[in-house]
Amino acid sequence: MTSTSTERPLKVALLSFAHSHAEAYAPLLAGRPDVELLTCDPDGEAADDDAPRGRRLADLMGVPYVDTYEEAFAWGPDAVVVCSENARHRDLVIAAASAGAHVLCEKPLATTLEDGQAMVDACRASGVFLMMAYPVRFSPEFQTLRRNVEAGVIGDLLAVVGTNNGKIPVGGRSWFVDPELAGGGALFDHVVHVADLVDALTGGDEAETVRAVTNRILHADDPRVRAETGALVTATYGGGAVLTVDSSWSHPDAAPNWGGLTLQAVGSEGVIDIDPFGVHVGGTAGGGEAWLYLGSDLDHAMLDHFIESVRSGTAPQPDGAVGLRTLRLVLDAQESATTGAVVRR
Amino acid sequence: MATRVGLVGAGGIAAEHAAAWSALGAEISIYSVHGAEALAARHGATVATSFEELVERSDVVAVLTPTPQHHGYALGALEAGRHVVCEKPLARTREQARDLVRAAAGSGAQLYPAHVVRYFPEYAALRTAVDAGRIGSPAVLRFSRSGVFPSWSPWFADVAQSGGIVMDQMIHDLDIARWIAGEVVAVYATCSPARDDGRLTAHVTLTHTSGAVSLVAGLWGPPHLTFRTAFHVAGDGGTLRYDSADQHGVRLDLGPVPAGGQPRPAAAGGESPYLSEVREFAGAFAGGPAPRVNAVDGAVAVELACAALDSIAAGEAVAVDTATLVAELNATADAATGRNA
Repeated sequence: MTSTSTERPLKVALLSFAHSHAEAYAPLLAGRPDVELLTCDPDGEAADDDAPRGRRLADLMGVPYVDTYEEAFAWGPDAVVVCSENARHRDLVIAAASAGAHVLCEKPLATTLEDGQAMVDACRASGVFLMMAYPVRFSPEFQTLRRNVEAGVIGDLLAVVGTNNGKIPVGGRSWFVDPELAGGGALFDHVVHVADLVDALTGGDEAETVRAVTNRILHADDPRVRAETGALVTATYGGGAVLTVDSSWSHPDAAPNWGGLTLQAVGSEGVIDIDPFGVHVGGTAGGGEAWLYLGSDLDHAMLDHFIESVRSGTAPQPDGAVGLRTLRLVLDAQESATTGAVVRR
Repeated sequence: MATRVGLVGAGGIAAEHAAAWSALGAEISIYSVHGAEALAARHGATVATSFEELVERSDVVAVLTPTPQHHGYALGALEAGRHVVCEKPLARTREQARDLVRAAAGSGAQLYPAHVVRYFPEYAALRTAVDAGRIGSPAVLRFSRSGVFPSWSPWFADVAQSGGIVMDQMIHDLDIARWIAGEVVAVYATCSPARDDGRLTAHVTLTHTSGAVSLVAGLWGPPHLTFRTAFHVAGDGGTLRYDSADQHGVRLDLGPVPAGGQPRPAAAGGESPYLSEVREFAGAFAGGPAPRVNAVDGAVAVELACAALDSIAAGEAVAVDTATLVAELNATADAATGRNA
């Protein structure tokens, strides 16, 4: 943190608690001396969620709250963090751009390319930053991998295998499994994190071909689940690299941790594996398997980069263009899973 | 009386088979263009000067040659009424593999492909647990296999001869994926561009009849690579995972690392999987129970590898129907032996 006593705190509005990450961001932002936080979750009261939402959640977290987005924008935020349902990112991001507020947007950028393009255009026209909430890019493990790949340590990049397997998100937030609001199922929810890391490794090169297969064997009996729970996405790149991502909601409910993300970069001279959520103290405790996570707080590092970028006026990464490219990969994968054909660009 | 086994070939894999048969007390003969004397000396075996001589003095013939020769030697041994163990792939082409299944049925001799990974304890444990329903229905499966590019013998790099990494190395996990998640209806495959140094990786996605999907990833990498195998199998009742890099029944921390990687992976523990395999085959030849892998499995594995190569060439997914293929091959075998289906 580089906040100085001469600078006034940055006014940051956290818009919507629909995404559960809002519960991580709120205390991190509230705890920063260089940030003044306001929160707002007008759709929260009506949401069919098990978890608390709206003013009740704000009170539980002990953060300031207003009832409407109008009040939040009237407060004059320097920046906003958008945590609404995926399909509802567009309206809030465009409103923030109109209000001259920089944006950190929860992933994925949107559920359609039209929405995503409109958001990128609006932020560009207003001269505000649009950053994507892809926290894994900030993990020290990924930075080590990226540094080594860029230094040529593994030679030519031949392939990447990524996994992002979590528990099925049916607990606290019901919209995650609503294809209308979420954009899809496990494929939509999880491929983008790996796609972001690959985007960083390939310097923004987009896939030439995309092919995906999905199924709904996991949680097939859960009436709340209306989209795919298993997915394998394969893409090929112009430089010859091959990518496959397993984005299934396959982490068992009984597991002691939420799931994880792994990335394997395969090169002509070697292989690098990272497991940013895997470093832990294990054992048996309280009658079950223990999992004491030892990694760093990636949300903290990501928010730090966003706040610093807003303060310094330097464009943050990953930006809206990364958001659009990663969204396009996922939409192509959805199309392939539906038609059974390989999508070519 | 000791089983009389004749090995065709004396390369790296033949040393594993010779050691296994030797441990079982077999009487070993070896016929090979290269290296027969040295291998025979290590196992008290005799050298045959021709394939015909080898067949003449053997009850069982083990075909351990480069892939293009599998069909010819296996067929010759079967036609002479000898039981056959044939290294994987069972044959280089679909037609050759089916021909061997038919020939075995017609000869009355037994034919087994050496899909040794089914005998590695970690994969055997996976199969047993999945069969017992311990993770419910498999949904998403991942298998990977990484080792050095096999530069010790030039035929591996020649796709026409070996079928490349898909046919030579990944056929192991294609077979395992089908063993665990059942028959296959679609195959999609991609691979990195061909290189002069042979380093190559490929990703194959299988869609199973059940709806389950499997990723099989293979790598022929640089010479320093430690041979590594891994799987992650997610079912609706749990997950099972294994990564040889995380297993340390024995951990050696010795310097300096010898150059040249390992040609074959180490098993998670227990006896040599090659011995487990050969013991099961030898038991079947002596009238015991059927092994966990049969000639039809070998032909289906070749079908899957061929489909993956077709997919790489076409850039599209390839439809297959391994359930029907299994039924056809079994019917062919039944017809050849005069039994009812």
